Amino acid sequence: MEYKKVCFMYRSNDYAVDGIRSALGLAVENMYAYGVVMDQEMDKLDEHNLESIEMLRDMEGEIYSTIPANVEKNSFESMTIEELGEKLRDMSIVVPYGLK
Amino acid sequence: MAKSLGIFVTNPDNFQHVMGVTKAAKAKGSTVKVFFTWTATHNAKKESDFPALCNLADDVSICVDSYKKMGYDISDVPEGLDEKKMATQAQHGIIIEDFDCYISF
Amino acid sequence: MKVLNVYRSEPDETVKKLVEIVTRDRESDSFDLAVDSPDYDALVDKIFDADQTICWW
Repeated sequence: MEYKKVCFMYRSNDYAVDGIRSALGLAVENMYAYGVVMDQEMDKLDEHNLESIEMLRDMEGEIYSTIPANVEKNSFESMTIEELGEKLRDMSIVVPYGLK
Repeated sequence: MAKSLGIFVTNPDNFQHVMGVTKAAKAKGSTVKVFFTWTATHNAKKESDFPALCNLADDVSICVDSYKKMGYDISDVPEGLDEKKMATQAQHGIIIEDFDCYISF
Repeated sequence: MKVLNVYRSEPDETVKKLVEIVTRDRESDSFDLAVDSPDYDALVDKIFDADQTICWW
């Protein structure tokens, strides 16, 4: 059985945290789930959300960001727009999440 | 036979698109499942056509955790839904796994 | 692999760049939802015809 690969993209801070929760929700359903925080600098995530990301990583998912400050603050993996585009090519499902 | 269609809704301002696509897909004989999450759960209470969407689509559910975080009482089940449709992100998983086509709004 | 790109607003530079990469060497189609009265019937036909639909912001 081939597992589905899903990538969420978040361009608004108001949607990133919940969008990460949606990614985790698919990871527990045996999918490869990824999230990418774009455009905006986020606040430092609280313990609970950082734990959610650790759980996602345990299930071979990942949260990336195209913004260096987010990578530094919340230990996201760094990714450029070009790298994101290449990653999207490998996805079964692509979700531009929430509002821009 | 028409393909089945799953719709995942995260944008609270796109209800007209959800309704338009559902109507068109149902007219073609498709099976349609819709799942609303985060701020899009406001649609269940604020869109007057939400009960009509529930009648039209084969399955409509919302993320109960999001609904609660939007300030609603989870015992206040929106018209058109029942308690079983106050669900989790697993509904999104069902859309991805079990439906032929997928669109998010 | 046929990709359908649906636009809910005018695509900005970021979206244009991503679409360019995602559709490279692939068959693709597009649909503009940012109009007064979208033809949902035509949109559903395109969704059914595509292998993947990406509905951009």
